[in-house]
Amino acid sequence: MPPPGGTPPPHPPPDGGWGWVVVGAAFISIGFSYAFPKAVTVFFKEIQLLFNTTYSEIAWISSTMLAVMYAGGPISSVLVNKYGSRPVVMVGGLLCCLGMVSASYSTNVVELYFTMGLICGLGLAFNLQPALTIIGKYFYKKRPVANGLAMAGSPVFLSTLAPFNQYLFNTYGWKGSFMILGGLLLNCCVAGSLMRPVEPKASTESKNKVGVRETDCSMKKRQKKLSVWEEINKYLDFSLFKHRGFLIYLSGNVIMFLGFFAPVIFLAPYAKDKGIDEYSAAFLLSVMAFVDMFARPTVGLIANSKLIRPRIQYFFSFAVMFTGICHLLCALAEDYTSLVVYAVFFGLGFGSVSSVLFETLMDLVGAQRFSSAVGLVTVVECCPVLLGPPLAGKLVDETGQYKYMYLACGAIVVLASVWLLIGNAANYRLLAREKKKSIHTKESQETEPLKTSQSPSVNIKSGKNEEWKGAEVNSSERETNI
Amino acid sequence: MRALQGLRGLGAVLPLLLLCFLAALRRSLEHGLSTAAPFKSLPVQEEMMTKYSNLSLESHNISVTAAPFTSLPVQEEMMTKSSNLSLESHSISMTAAPFTSLPVQEEMMTKSSNLSLESHSISMTEHSNMPVEKNITLERPSNVELICQFTPSGDLNSVNVTWKKGDKLLEDNYLVNATGGTLYTQHRVAVINSKQMGSYSCFFGEKKQQRGTFNLKVPEINGQNKPLITYLGDSVVLMCKCQDCLPLNWTWYGGNGSVQVPIGVPVNDKYVISGKHANETRLKITQLSEDDQGTYLCHAIFELGESEGHVKLVVLSYLVPLKVFCAIAAEVVLLVAAILLFEMYTQKKKKPSDDGKEFEQGEQLKLDDSNGIENSGPRHRKNESVGQ
Repeated sequence: MPPPGGTPPPHPPPDGGWGWVVVGAAFISIGFSYAFPKAVTVFFKEIQLLFNTTYSEIAWISSTMLAVMYAGGPISSVLVNKYGSRPVVMVGGLLCCLGMVSASYSTNVVELYFTMGLICGLGLAFNLQPALTIIGKYFYKKRPVANGLAMAGSPVFLSTLAPFNQYLFNTYGWKGSFMILGGLLLNCCVAGSLMRPVEPKASTESKNKVGVRETDCSMKKRQKKLSVWEEINKYLDFSLFKHRGFLIYLSGNVIMFLGFFAPVIFLAPYAKDKGIDEYSAAFLLSVMAFVDMFARPTVGLIANSKLIRPRIQYFFSFAVMFTGICHLLCALAEDYTSLVVYAVFFGLGFGSVSSVLFETLMDLVGAQRFSSAVGLVTVVECCPVLLGPPLAGKLVDETGQYKYMYLACGAIVVLASVWLLIGNAANYRLLAREKKKSIHTKESQETEPLKTSQSPSVNIKSGKNEEWKGAEVNSSERETNI
Repeated sequence: MRALQGLRGLGAVLPLLLLCFLAALRRSLEHGLSTAAPFKSLPVQEEMMTKYSNLSLESHNISVTAAPFTSLPVQEEMMTKSSNLSLESHSISMTAAPFTSLPVQEEMMTKSSNLSLESHSISMTEHSNMPVEKNITLERPSNVELICQFTPSGDLNSVNVTWKKGDKLLEDNYLVNATGGTLYTQHRVAVINSKQMGSYSCFFGEKKQQRGTFNLKVPEINGQNKPLITYLGDSVVLMCKCQDCLPLNWTWYGGNGSVQVPIGVPVNDKYVISGKHANETRLKITQLSEDDQGTYLCHAIFELGESEGHVKLVVLSYLVPLKVFCAIAAEVVLLVAAILLFEMYTQKKKKPSDDGKEFEQGEQLKLDDSNGIENSGPRHRKNESVGQ
């Protein structure tokens, strides 16, 4: 059976206690990051009228925000690697506030691109990555549950922000609303202040001492070999691109995201096209968000179970396949009831994929390298996330029907799931083989200290719980199988 | 000329003469001038029913009634059941008689647009308690056929059928037909300008009257239902839109209280009226002040009347959202301070015990180095407590 998880952090994750408060803080940060770009579309009609532009020019604000949020991943990762999660999230909150307040004073669309799109997007990026990273630092055994709970922030915030934004617009107009939203985004700073760093200062110092000694004793040959490449890797771990599991995950996700978001965006227009009135069409989205809200923590719980957790990659592939099949079947939907059923199942699929999306990445690369991994993943995913909906829109324009777009998206997602399934099956098998090999070699070299490995943390692994030790031995092998 | 083309299929002589007469008079009659030749006697009524399809057709009806004209309105109807025809129709009704007080009514279709025939019907039974109403939206001049169906419980023939426009009884130009237990009555109206708009009602019976009403209206204009919130010194764009119609012209009025002042008449920088498409109008107001608050009306002018939409504007001062922002910012600062203070407090409590542990840890680590990985016991417990 494949080992349960990636490399654990140098300190045993508390797996509880303050960790649940951190989950709450991550809930807020992730909620704002994913929900905010979508929720501001409420103001666009008014702004479009005032600035006398086309709707697509205004819609680019939302896309820019999302793009910068994804593209800012590596910057965020570098900062988190250096300074930890807390300061980055607080700076992110301040940036968001600054962006929105200056957006309320803007006089044309370009200024909005800059303030809302760039500054606010960067602030949201500084919220998303650290929130995900710190969950990995605080949880190991209950990590899928923590991930599921934190990711549930996205639908909850979306369903709250959308009507709240409408209320703000009716009471304060768009300018006042932007100012107030800037204030609300300051609450990310509160979330950030809750994200206490895991290692208390005392043990960090002792760890460093030990680390230094270890380097002296056993790794004399490796001294003073910090090339440019390794310097860069200290900040952002580019060596991940040689990691087999990471590459499988990345390629599968890129394919998946091409067809993942378009069905959500086109659900309401598809319903209206079928003759359903506006309010019922909007209700479909609410149904989806509602199911999504409950699916995420539930799936997190399921993924945490003893049965699923070791095979979490397969679980992820199946969740993706489920979503893809939903899209394919949606093409058969004719009336409102079938669309509601589709919305329910889509919510389920969307929630389950999102819930384990980052958990699987953590599982593959380990909590140590997760912060760099998530930055690299988001910057690469930026392309399909942005290209997907316009391409889908073009397909709809060409064929004149939404059915073909749903079929295409479903096919792409199913393809991604098949690729992930095959890739991960191969990966698991290779990892098991490598583990067996290393156990054999280990048995023959029992008294010697561990072989040279990349992370000094492996040397200090002793002394933790027994389970931990077993996991560490296995995971160190996984780490070395690059 | 179009006039000559269509006549090929007809071959009626009298209309030809009148046609020439009409063609000559066309331009002058456009502007509503009335000419009336003193026809002294006979009612001449001719109606040309044309049921040609796929012809470009011109039909000209003149119904001239001359009779004791003291109070009767002259009414002329043009019946055209032409489908797929480009049709030009001209009709003149002339009245001749003691002209002292009679209004001369002439209606002339000057805009030779496709006069389509619209048919609307209401059906009622004897026992329908509520009056039945139907709203008909008309934008362009057209022929409207209003049909009422009535199913009486008793005898058909004893039911009296009347039509009214508003409160005025209509004398003629409606047909009554009875087939298979249902009474049909049909009234045709050529809607050419706003005078023909209004409510038309059909009444069945004497004692217990059943009433069906057709409301002919111009299209409605959508302003903005919710008030627009703006701030001092800002600019705002007010928009009125008509869904499927093309008004001839738009005008804006600003209402401060009950006084309605047209906007944009002295053209200045403050108000800019524009509109990207014919079915919408935009009013941009810059340099907003408190006085600009209130309801703005956009008037759309159609051939058949006028319609208006409302947009309400509210002007606030910047302090209003600023106060909310400051309140939220204060709350955030308080929470962050509280959380950080709490954290420092709990860490201080741990600190004195931490120093001692660190020393021991160092010793243990030295031992571990030499012994290998197996010495797990004491360090395990300490690290657990530190980690928490």
